[in-house]
Amino acid sequence: MSKVSYTDLDFIEGLKHNNDAVLRALYKKYYNLVLKYVVNNSGSSEAAADIYQETLIVLYENVQKPTFELNCQLQTFIFSIAKRLWLKQLRGNGHLARFNEGEEDDVVDVSDEITDHLKKESDILKMNTCMDNLGEPCKTILKDFYVYKLSMDEISEKFGYTNSDNAKTQKYKCLQRLKRYFFEDK
Amino acid sequence: MRTAELFDNYLFGNISASDKQAFEARLQSDAEFALAFDKHKTLIESINQQEQRTHLKQILSTIHNQEYGKDAKIISIKKETFIEKHGKTFAVAASVAIVAVLGTVTLLSTGGYLLKKQSNDITDLKRDVTELKYSQDAIIEGITDASKNRIKKYAPANIEGTGFALNNKGYFITSWHMVKNADSVFVTNGSLDRASAKLITSNPQLDIAIYKIENCDALKNIIFPFSFKTNTSEIGDKIFTLGYPRRDAVYGEGALSSMTGFNNDTTMYQISIPVNPGNSGGPLMDEQGTIIGVIRGKLTSAEGTGYAIKSDLIQQTINSLENDSLKKELTLDTKKSSLRGLKRSEQVKRIQPFVFNVMVYKR
Repeated sequence: MSKVSYTDLDFIEGLKHNNDAVLRALYKKYYNLVLKYVVNNSGSSEAAADIYQETLIVLYENVQKPTFELNCQLQTFIFSIAKRLWLKQLRGNGHLARFNEGEEDDVVDVSDEITDHLKKESDILKMNTCMDNLGEPCKTILKDFYVYKLSMDEISEKFGYTNSDNAKTQKYKCLQRLKRYFFEDK
Repeated sequence: MRTAELFDNYLFGNISASDKQAFEARLQSDAEFALAFDKHKTLIESINQQEQRTHLKQILSTIHNQEYGKDAKIISIKKETFIEKHGKTFAVAASVAIVAVLGTVTLLSTGGYLLKKQSNDITDLKRDVTELKYSQDAIIEGITDASKNRIKKYAPANIEGTGFALNNKGYFITSWHMVKNADSVFVTNGSLDRASAKLITSNPQLDIAIYKIENCDALKNIIFPFSFKTNTSEIGDKIFTLGYPRRDAVYGEGALSSMTGFNNDTTMYQISIPVNPGNSGGPLMDEQGTIIGVIRGKLTSAEGTGYAIKSDLIQQTINSLENDSLKKELTLDTKKSSLRGLKRSEQVKRIQPFVFNVMVYKR
């Protein structure tokens, strides 16, 4: 395979359109940067991989926003987010002692992105729990309908309901239960 | 109509202009209605976000494991001939006699998969054996039916593996890692003469490729045996497979050993079943003969550890097609298996015409 080099803009466009090849190239491009940073600051390579993947999720979700605009180099953006996420984790673990601030790194202010991300993260964790409580087949029915946009006929066939009205009733019950879990049970 | 359904129709845009207007007016005037709608919308968005996030996490950790995973790697169990890797040096290499002691060598391919490659001597020997078999077949066929001569010689494929039919219209599924960069793909089995197939769709992420056999009249009058499982199977379920690690179909059985695959990959099952190069793309069935997965690969570091892609992901791949009529053509049978209650040998007999030896040619 020939080696393609992508520009920052290529990466962003690729992420926007869920291009797997671009995502893979992006992953490889900045992994070592984040790995080095985390490992130099009391982290393991496993922790680095986790932080890096979370960073790319933040980037991905920001890129999806219609208002997204990159005001600095992609590398700087990625590094800034990774750094903030890692610092947060270190503080959470309560051992900031061996943290090397080092030379003033090339970072940008990503507070908004991080705050957004953390808020969303807690919502998603809550939805995770709700979905687990809901169980099958509800989980898959709701996802098929709301995420993968399957028609009620298709869902009915897939789950072996005798007609799409039965499937509809089932879906309705699932949704009501999910609503109750999500909004009422804290 | 239930309120929830009304909300969905509005959100999905399945609503007439006048109804839409009425709906929006009601949002303005009816605070309770507006609040309920808000909740509904938040919930739907949250479902979407959660699914998107889960999916993205999975992709990222797959990338990580493929690029940086140090320990075990999955070997794709496709057969790959020596020619593919070494091209024209083949003739030169063949003269080196020392290699004769080596049965197989394991090499790292470009894809990060560990592929089992057969040494040139084995390949050579195999081709001789095959030719021998051809002439033997020819003699037998000559005795039984002199007019019917289906023994033709073809160039050996670069890669061979297994595939199985999704319906009796000629569509079949196989492993993406086998057909990647293929120039042409042919299938054959006891019921079907060598037939060419064209790519319909693929999902490299899930390692799924769907092909259509161009002429499959030979299969039209045979009862289609497969049904596809939509929910997941259980650990400990007895399973079996049929594949083409060699020119004749080979049966293997075992048990489902884990609900997740390599590195907790939830798209796969771990299976304990003897699988060999060439089993890739084969059907994985439960005791009733229902398809529960597609054979994917095995672990290098441990014997008897195989992986199979879960069957509901086949449906998911089909659902992601944009062409609605194609989607309809590909609808999978999810009713109870027609093979249930039959003796295993009878089950195998019925599925055999729909399990193919897939031959992949590369430029």
